[in-house]
Amino acid sequence: MTLTEREFWTLVHGMVLGTLFLLAFGGGVAGLWSFREKYLTADGVTERTPRLLAGTAVMAVVAWLTVIVGTWIVYPWYRAVPPEGTTDLAKFPKSLLISNPDTAGWHEFGMEWKEHVAFLAPLLATAVAFATIYYGAQLVRQGEIRRAMLVFFTLAFAAAGIAGLFGALITKAAPII
Amino acid sequence: MQSTETKPNGSVAAAFLAAGIGSLALGVTVVLNELGGDISKFLQFDKNFGLGSGVGALSGKVVITVFVYLISWVVLHFLWRGKEVNFGRIFSIALILVAAGFILTFPPVFLLFAPTE
Repeated sequence: MTLTEREFWTLVHGMVLGTLFLLAFGGGVAGLWSFREKYLTADGVTERTPRLLAGTAVMAVVAWLTVIVGTWIVYPWYRAVPPEGTTDLAKFPKSLLISNPDTAGWHEFGMEWKEHVAFLAPLLATAVAFATIYYGAQLVRQGEIRRAMLVFFTLAFAAAGIAGLFGALITKAAPII
Repeated sequence: MQSTETKPNGSVAAAFLAAGIGSLALGVTVVLNELGGDISKFLQFDKNFGLGSGVGALSGKVVITVFVYLISWVVLHFLWRGKEVNFGRIFSIALILVAAGFILTFPPVFLLFAPTE
């Protein structure tokens, strides 16, 4: 039971970092949504603020790490060009996908969308994390800012969700081995 | 004890608008790459500047995006730091820019800019 270097980094990119971001979204939204003066006592605000701060900061860092690992470590293996005359394309996922009209769409639509849209997630998550760090406990009185944070948070989740979904489906069609 | 003073919103508005500008920058670089020619070759930062072997034009697109994002954030931060700004209006602009980023990174849209063979 071993993992190759490529399988290890693919796992880190998709299952560890990507999944952590997507799973943390639920907690982040619930935390932001309920972070209001009318719902919380002063003690409640004091107790929740560090958690909200850590949660949004970790999500932003995880989003950046996911796209950095995906782009600079995993992606070159995906798009590696096979030497001339290669007939077994198992180690060249992009070439394997586009060699068959039935699977070409996974690259031409799925990967082309995934590799770009994923980068919107860290941009949006960083703005949310910054707002939390900047306001801290004062966020309970900043309804307009909090609503904007929820919108950006949801858009970041959508971008990461699209990337994650296509990542899983593409890996199923042509795994990086 | 919580402070009853409210911090000015300029710094946060700057972070949100910078995210919008970064999103648009990503969409624009994706479209520029589809146009092909010298721009597409320039975007191959892996070959041109040794930034990530085998990443291709994606290296240039993301490096430019992050650069534009950070520069715009720094500039806006220093412009609006300590000031109260119309956050609703700035957030609306940021949302439009993010939407543009989403649309321009959607393959059926950016492929419209690819040269016809």
